[in-house]
Amino acid sequence: MTVGIHEYLCLGALLFVCGVVCMASKRNAIGVLIGVELVLNGANVNLVAFARYNPIFEVEGWIFALMVIVLAAGEAAVALAIVLNFYNNHMTVDVDTAEELKG
Amino acid sequence: MEWDFGQHPGLIFVVATLLPLASFALLLLAGAARAYLRSIKAEGSLSERLFAWLGGEATGRGPAWIATAAIALACVCSVVGFVWFLADAHDVHEKVHHAKAEIKNLETKAKNVSAPDGAKTSPKKKHDHDHDHDHDKHEAGKGHGAAGKTLSQLHKEIDRLERDFEQRWSGRIKWAWLWYRGDAVKKVPSHIADVNHGTALELGFRIDHLAGIMFVMVTFIATLIHLFSIGYMSEELQQKVEDHEVHTPYGHLQRRGRFGRFFMFLSLFCFSMLNLVLADNLFQVFLSWELVGVCSYLLIGFYYERTSASNAANKAFITNRVGDAGFLIGMLILWTSLGTLNFQEMFARLRTPLLDAHHTPMGVPSILVRADKDPDAVVEGGGSFVVKGSVQSRPEPGDYVLILPRRPHFHAEDRPFEKGAVHEAKAHPSPREFGYMPYWMLVVAGLGVFLGCVGKSAQFPLQVWLPDAMEGPTPVSALIHAATMVAAGVYLVGRAYPLFTPEVLLTISYVGAITLFVAATIAIVMTDIKKVLAYSTVSQLGYMMLGLGVGGWAAGLFHLVTHAFFKALMFLASGSVIYACHHQQDMLKMGGLYPKMKITALTMLMGVLAIAGVPLFSGWYSKDAIVASAMGFWLADGNRHHALLFVLPLLTAGITTFYMFRMWFLTFTGKPRDEHVYEHASESPYLMTVPLIILAVFSVCVAWPVSNEEGETLPFVLLDAEASWLEHQIHHAQPASVGADFDGHVGMPASLTKAKHQEAGLLALGMVIIGMAFALITYYWGFLDPQESKEQFPGVHRFLTHKWYFDELYSVFFVRPALVVAGWCKNFDLKAIDGVIHAVARFGVRTSKESGWTDNRIVDGLVNLLANVWWAVGAWLRHVQTGYLRSYVLFLALAAAGIWIVLRSFQVN
Amino acid sequence: MEAFLFYLIAGVTGLCAIATVVTQNIVRSATWLLFTLAGVSAIFFLLGADVVGATQLMVYVGGTLVLVVFGVMLTAQGPFITMKTSSAEWAVSATVGLILLAVLAMGIFTLGPTRLSRPDVPSPSAADKDNHPRLAQIREGLAKKALAEEKLISETKQTANLNSQPGSAPASAVIGEALLGVPAGPPHIEGVGATARPVRATYLLPFEIVSVHLLVVLIGAAYLARAKRRRGASS
Repeated sequence: MTVGIHEYLCLGALLFVCGVVCMASKRNAIGVLIGVELVLNGANVNLVAFARYNPIFEVEGWIFALMVIVLAAGEAAVALAIVLNFYNNHMTVDVDTAEELKG
Repeated sequence: MEWDFGQHPGLIFVVATLLPLASFALLLLAGAARAYLRSIKAEGSLSERLFAWLGGEATGRGPAWIATAAIALACVCSVVGFVWFLADAHDVHEKVHHAKAEIKNLETKAKNVSAPDGAKTSPKKKHDHDHDHDHDKHEAGKGHGAAGKTLSQLHKEIDRLERDFEQRWSGRIKWAWLWYRGDAVKKVPSHIADVNHGTALELGFRIDHLAGIMFVMVTFIATLIHLFSIGYMSEELQQKVEDHEVHTPYGHLQRRGRFGRFFMFLSLFCFSMLNLVLADNLFQVFLSWELVGVCSYLLIGFYYERTSASNAANKAFITNRVGDAGFLIGMLILWTSLGTLNFQEMFARLRTPLLDAHHTPMGVPSILVRADKDPDAVVEGGGSFVVKGSVQSRPEPGDYVLILPRRPHFHAEDRPFEKGAVHEAKAHPSPREFGYMPYWMLVVAGLGVFLGCVGKSAQFPLQVWLPDAMEGPTPVSALIHAATMVAAGVYLVGRAYPLFTPEVLLTISYVGAITLFVAATIAIVMTDIKKVLAYSTVSQLGYMMLGLGVGGWAAGLFHLVTHAFFKALMFLASGSVIYACHHQQDMLKMGGLYPKMKITALTMLMGVLAIAGVPLFSGWYSKDAIVASAMGFWLADGNRHHALLFVLPLLTAGITTFYMFRMWFLTFTGKPRDEHVYEHASESPYLMTVPLIILAVFSVCVAWPVSNEEGETLPFVLLDAEASWLEHQIHHAQPASVGADFDGHVGMPASLTKAKHQEAGLLALGMVIIGMAFALITYYWGFLDPQESKEQFPGVHRFLTHKWYFDELYSVFFVRPALVVAGWCKNFDLKAIDGVIHAVARFGVRTSKESGWTDNRIVDGLVNLLANVWWAVGAWLRHVQTGYLRSYVLFLALAAAGIWIVLRSFQVN
Repeated sequence: MEAFLFYLIAGVTGLCAIATVVTQNIVRSATWLLFTLAGVSAIFFLLGADVVGATQLMVYVGGTLVLVVFGVMLTAQGPFITMKTSSAEWAVSATVGLILLAVLAMGIFTLGPTRLSRPDVPSPSAADKDNHPRLAQIREGLAKKALAEEKLISETKQTANLNSQPGSAPASAVIGEALLGVPAGPPHIEGVGATARPVRATYLLPFEIVSVHLLVVLIGAAYLARAKRRRGASS
């Protein structure tokens, strides 16, 4: 039994969907952030799987995955800062209260 | 015109006219000043002292004395002037008579010397000379020699005498005129002959016997009425007068006394009437005419708070307007056609009949021409007068046309007019020498002027106002009925007499006959003492009109004067009764007053006898003269079908007697019918009874003759009904044309009237006796119960008490249609005119609204619709933007999935 | 062995990820995330991407997750720890997630393994030549190009002495060189026909961009997260 690229991609897809559902269902801003991290990880799994199974993308896949990791870290930092700010202003982390963008 | 009484003694009448005007002006100014000062006066100031000096709140009798003094002075002036005039006229008459006698002598001599010459020269010729200023040359041309010279000198003498006399007793000034300068004269319409034609309005006076008598009569009666009024109107002296006939929510009306105002109006009334009598032209008459109308309006409506009084005043004024419209039309026709309104000039231009009523030859006439197809017109009547091409094509063939000689020298080229002879005028007389006037237009003018008189004198179609005019104070009624207003109409008919064609005169006669009968029948059933008198006035005015119409010029005006006295007397007496009965006017509530007020009763009896025409009383002389004239007219050739003109006055003589005695009996005899009235009744003060006595005296003897042709003297001459001195004086003023047609035909010979006088008088006397007997039977002895006859003929009684339904008739035919038309006009104004305006306005508003609507809905609507659509789209779309982070995520996921599915499903292979 | 490891790790990771989603407690969620991230790094290792896996561990598990935990701790006050989501929302989210998963799975399984290699270019047939001379010409060109590329790739791989077998290359060295501007990885063919030549990518510029990006992020995060007084309490 060999593991092909499909299995990895399925894992990535699972992570991605988990992230999306997490973002969609969590009312806590941190929970949303966690969902984002899951989505990014799902994408990363894909990238690395491609790098493994397509020699042309070998280095590129790794480098993209690295960059995603780095950017995810930055994103997490900024998102947390926003959450803190939001919390300071609204005394809550419930994303449903942040509905100023409502049309 | 200089104020030199030696040169112009006629001016004394002008003074007499102006005195009441001065009094009026004085009272008006004082009254105005008082009214003004009352509003501004302050305690102790000059204005208050001035106010007090002018009479303060209650004027006292000052105004009355001023007005009475003015009219009394005018009366003195009139008497003096009249006496002076009579003396002057007598003097001139003597001289002229003398000169004429000499001319006659010379002419008979000349006839003997040269028969052919004398045969040619008609005795009628001398009258031409009165109007002929170029006579000298004309005479000289004919070469009469030494006799001619003397003749011409005599003619000149007569001319001079008459001209001087005319100048002494008349005068005129232009007060409004037009100038035609230079060749502008040519712009005058071609049918207008003289340059002065219709270019100037004048004020003037001309005194003749009639005017003098009228002056004396008016001023004298007015003076007495003034005196009487001082007593009668004393109630008005109070500061607060309570009018018991006006009910206000706060009880009877309280108002300030109007003593001064009353006398102010009286003065104006007197002035107007005197000016009317004085006037020498129709326009001045018209001015006074209107002033009289205004004064009657003011005085009838003196108690203007009473609805009945103000209505009566309006009625009098409006009814007179109807007549005045006719007057104005007649005046304008005369003005246009004759170019002057001066009576003498009009008469001279209009007609100078060949013969006057006394068969005295007169001047060259104007000519009544029937324009034929033949260019040479032929004179109707007196002779043929060939006027070659004179009227050219203006009149239609067959028209009657009056050819009016306009220039004095026109006569000069003619030979004296002879009956039956054919005369030739200049071959082609220019229009400047002839005016023309269609005959029908002259008829219309005459009818118009007479319509004015009908209104003023309350004749048949327009008689309705006079009885209502009883709402005024009784002295006013006396003044209106006796001396002023109603007299004005009769006077004008007499004054303008030569203007009236035979057709118009016949109309006048019939109007008078109908009026006298109608009014007399109504008077029978009236119970208001003043209304009886009012209808008797209307009836008597009808007599006067009839007299004038049938050619009894002097008779009619004679009756005017005598009637003035006894009617004034009766009115003042009734005033005295009313005063005594505390303004009770209903005779059914009087009765048996004789013992209480003997003076009033007896003086009134004098008036009753006079109006009834009992011999030796003034009415007898004048009424007999009228009845005689009517009889003469009826008996004249071709007038037999006008029997009504004689029967009606004769019958009415009896009726008059009946109702006048009925009135007297009801008032003064029998048992008192109203104890309340009876107990309070008492004789009036001397201020009121003295005028009554004076008037009674005059009512009896004003018409008495002094002497007659048979040489009888007083008192035997009194029985000669034709010898009245007064009538003879009036007769002096009679226009020469009386009784003569335009073509010189003398219709009604005076001799016939004279011949029938006695018969007519006897017939009238019979009627008077019958009437008196009826009155005695019914109201004195009580053999006949008036109530019974009333019930026996309810229809007749109702007909009479409703005054022949004239008011109702006018209400149906004129008042209500007028109101309806006025309503239409009002509705037209409200609906149509206002409607159009409103419609325009509404259209504007509507348009603006539409425009606004369009602007708001369409223009803005489109813009708004666009905005709304996008707003709606946005509003719909905004629901997509929930603002919830998590739903965005879900959408994202869904969208991604959807996009992917779409891509997959379209992917080939 | 590899398969076993994969299924084990993948199963754990997937379960942890699901647990992350499902749990209501944020702290637990963060903990499950920790395991998930660790599992992902294990997958990376399994895929032979040592550097990426190491970085994953260091940055994510060591950095990002610390940040998350900080955030949780800073904001974790009573009610926020467990904010319940309504079951309806859960249902909706789950549905959407399942749809998405299905779509992705479909996509994944429609990808044939051949797709991962160069596509075969069919040589133009005689009939094609007759019917569509131009199309045949293009296809001929394409086929020639593909052949040239195959040849070129093999040549370059040989010359670069790179092992084309997965997991055999010294990845960290290659990545480090690539990031420093040294051409790394398999070459790309640029140009067609005679002008075609192999080109190898360098990643210095992305590296710099990321570094600048991180700097901006740092500054922004510091600015946003700095302690501010609330507006109502100011002054």
